Amino acid sequence: MTGGPLESVLRAVTGREGAGEAEVYWKRGRSRRLEREGLETAAAAQREEGWAVRAGTDRGSFFHAGTGAPSPDVHWPQPDGRPLELPSRAIVGEPAPWREPPELDAPLVGEKEGFALLAAIEDELQAEVPGARLVTARLDDGGSEVEILNSRGLAARYRQRAAYLRVEALDRRGDEPRVAVVEFGMREARLLPAKAVARRLADRLHVARHGQPVDRDRADLLLAPAVSARVLASLLPLFLGPEAGKLAERLGGSRDRFGSEMVTIVDDGRFPGGLLAAPADGEGVPTRAVTLVERGTYRQALLGLREAPTVRGVRPIGCARRPSWRDLPAPGPSHLYLQPGTMGVGRLVGGLTRGYFLIALDGAPRVDWTEGRLQFPASGFAVEAGRAREPVRNTWVTGTIATFLRGIVALGRDLQFEPFATGGLIGAPTLLVTGLELRGAGG
Amino acid sequence: MPFSSLDTAAVARALSQVSDREDDWVDALFERIEEVELPPEGEAPGFRVRREEGLAVRLVRGREAWRASRDGVGSAIFADALRQIARSMPIATYPEPMLAMSPWGKAPEADEMAEFPLAVGRAVRARHAAFPLKMTMRRHRRWLQVVGPRLVPAAEREAFYSLAVEASWGRWGTLAVELGDGLAEQVAEVLVERFRARQAAAPTSGVTSVALGPGATAVLLHEAVAHALEADTLGASGKPAAALGVRLGPEGLDVLDDPARAPEGVRRATDDEGQAVLRRWLLRDGIVEQPLADATWSRAHEVLLPGAGRRASRHFAPAPRSSHLELAPGTTAEADVRRGGALYAAEASRGQLDPWSGRFVLELPCGRRGGPAGEPVGGFRLTGTVGDLLGKIAAVGDQPVAAGAGWCAKGGQKLPVWASSPSILLEGVEVRA
Repeated sequence: MTGGPLESVLRAVTGREGAGEAEVYWKRGRSRRLEREGLETAAAAQREEGWAVRAGTDRGSFFHAGTGAPSPDVHWPQPDGRPLELPSRAIVGEPAPWREPPELDAPLVGEKEGFALLAAIEDELQAEVPGARLVTARLDDGGSEVEILNSRGLAARYRQRAAYLRVEALDRRGDEPRVAVVEFGMREARLLPAKAVARRLADRLHVARHGQPVDRDRADLLLAPAVSARVLASLLPLFLGPEAGKLAERLGGSRDRFGSEMVTIVDDGRFPGGLLAAPADGEGVPTRAVTLVERGTYRQALLGLREAPTVRGVRPIGCARRPSWRDLPAPGPSHLYLQPGTMGVGRLVGGLTRGYFLIALDGAPRVDWTEGRLQFPASGFAVEAGRAREPVRNTWVTGTIATFLRGIVALGRDLQFEPFATGGLIGAPTLLVTGLELRGAGG
Repeated sequence: MPFSSLDTAAVARALSQVSDREDDWVDALFERIEEVELPPEGEAPGFRVRREEGLAVRLVRGREAWRASRDGVGSAIFADALRQIARSMPIATYPEPMLAMSPWGKAPEADEMAEFPLAVGRAVRARHAAFPLKMTMRRHRRWLQVVGPRLVPAAEREAFYSLAVEASWGRWGTLAVELGDGLAEQVAEVLVERFRARQAAAPTSGVTSVALGPGATAVLLHEAVAHALEADTLGASGKPAAALGVRLGPEGLDVLDDPARAPEGVRRATDDEGQAVLRRWLLRDGIVEQPLADATWSRAHEVLLPGAGRRASRHFAPAPRSSHLELAPGTTAEADVRRGGALYAAEASRGQLDPWSGRFVLELPCGRRGGPAGEPVGGFRLTGTVGDLLGKIAAVGDQPVAAGAGWCAKGGQKLPVWASSPSILLEGVEVRA
């Protein structure tokens, strides 16, 4: 499958005295970034190319990475520390067929086209909120190609494509300025919906200007994907790593009643249309969908190759994340999401007799893992008789993690993903949750 | 220096071809970075080396900028990047400059780093404490050469270490220009303090007096003064020049940024845009004198002086950032300042400034009641607006020391920052558990 520079480097590294296993990783990428800050604009074009070698003997191991194409003419470091374990072809088995998405061949967004998109967002925003403007806007569009080859017979090659938009809007009317931020990811910059982005900004500015904290209340909550996905991301230790299962049992009391019947959580490295969809992970192990929670029952955690027990006939998950050639592969989600339902958001709002529709987080969620408690500050609207009423903001939602997961009673069909710190994506649809409490500013 | 065989004159000639208007600004950055990492004991791979080099070119014309960055250095790579930023090229161009970097030397070693965790372990045990911890050590080296069509400053070099510790009570990290027993003792002191305070109750929320040691003071000033006075922060909410002359702190509060007085190893004569650095009085007697500005902001506002342009690497745009922050000494004895508050905190874990509201949060992972020898207390936060917090500085210690070095993350860029500060005493500040 692969050859050329990777094979020659592999031969050079494994040919050294006492060398055992080795892996060569090569990533090439190009991207365009268009930025607006006030009246200033900047267009940047990047081309990146780097390689990384992991190699080891029974006495130690090393990692060496550098720019350019992999070359055998490198001064390799001395192995140190623990030996290395690399995945083998025999363990991972035959990969499932993979068809590259067609968007991968589309050219990167042009300068004029990209700035026109940002201008369109501002125009739409001003139509909704007269006087508002974009203070900063950043549009990234890029593609990359990865090749991996290791001495245990594993080889992979794949391409990826992603565009990412971050806009920050300002409304200067009134006593103090109000700011709203919206982030959006798509395969291609051209697919980014200017009108939808502007509407989200307008909603958030409206809530920021007119919203008041809720003193104290207990009512049904609708959490928009911008809230639900980030809350799910804050609970990632429940789904990732060798301690996750124990933590889930301790906080939930039982694996069988981890969440409500509505809760099915999946991580899928091949998620259709996903920004990070690829046939293999950062170590070349074929990716696949794995169900972590099924209809409220905790099934398993996301475990790296060396964390999972080897079970005959069960293929590894393929969840080693490797954002760049500088990074070592580490277990992590690619597209971890709460499976959506079939209801439209309008129907969910319309069915709410009394409650709140929370559309944005005002800060990072806080999780107390000792007590099993969760709280997050959010903004949105009070809802009465199925209609949005007065805006609310900086209102803290509090409760236990178990209450949150068991209190999910309905799911929208609007699954959206949010970027996660380690380079993966966490997704959720609009959720209807019962049992959580709202408190005023301060939590 | 890896740039000794770089033909900077030819690069300057090539750049001049795309600078065809009087107010055009064009430059190139050549960069080499080496990071050597020793992971915690028992983690594979055991020894980690990252070596990279590349270049970036930039054209600024009025309110527009074009940048191109590349991994790798070579004639064709440079010519390709230059074509990408050029708005027009002459029909007959200069020949592509011959670009060559000196080859990487032999594989790096890290014997000095291997000894350090052992020294910290000994220093922890000498304090009659023992706890498991994971320590990751990195040695960072960066060389950079900026070339403009008219100006070719001397190449710059930075070398320092970073240390990241993970323990059951949390995470902690620092930067240092050299390793040694003195640093091991300091690290052990902080770790043991955090360990002993791990189960201590947090102080009651309310308004009280708090003394901050040099490390915590440096973080406070970095967030509340340096970030607040970056030209891009000021520019987002108004005109940066309007900040000049505004009172931000009490009389006697002098805060400077001076990259030329940073510790040996990270000291700079020019910034990442090749502009000469300056001893910049951010606050003189509590009044804003000169915000942090890079070349772009300085060109747009003539009262702003360049020399504070920094970029994490060639792939990022330069932005105004502090490098080495100094709080000028006050007149109160250090010991009196540290004992002067109801609470004392030696270290801050992080600070956060909301540029729109001016609200500021300083997180202190642990502290002591009444001074460094008092009873331990758990983590707490100081909150307030920048002007409000700085206005509550009641005393400044008389012995500044190097402190509070760490990573600053803003706008996706992670930069090392350094500081020198005495302790301060804050009266009537809001503390939250």
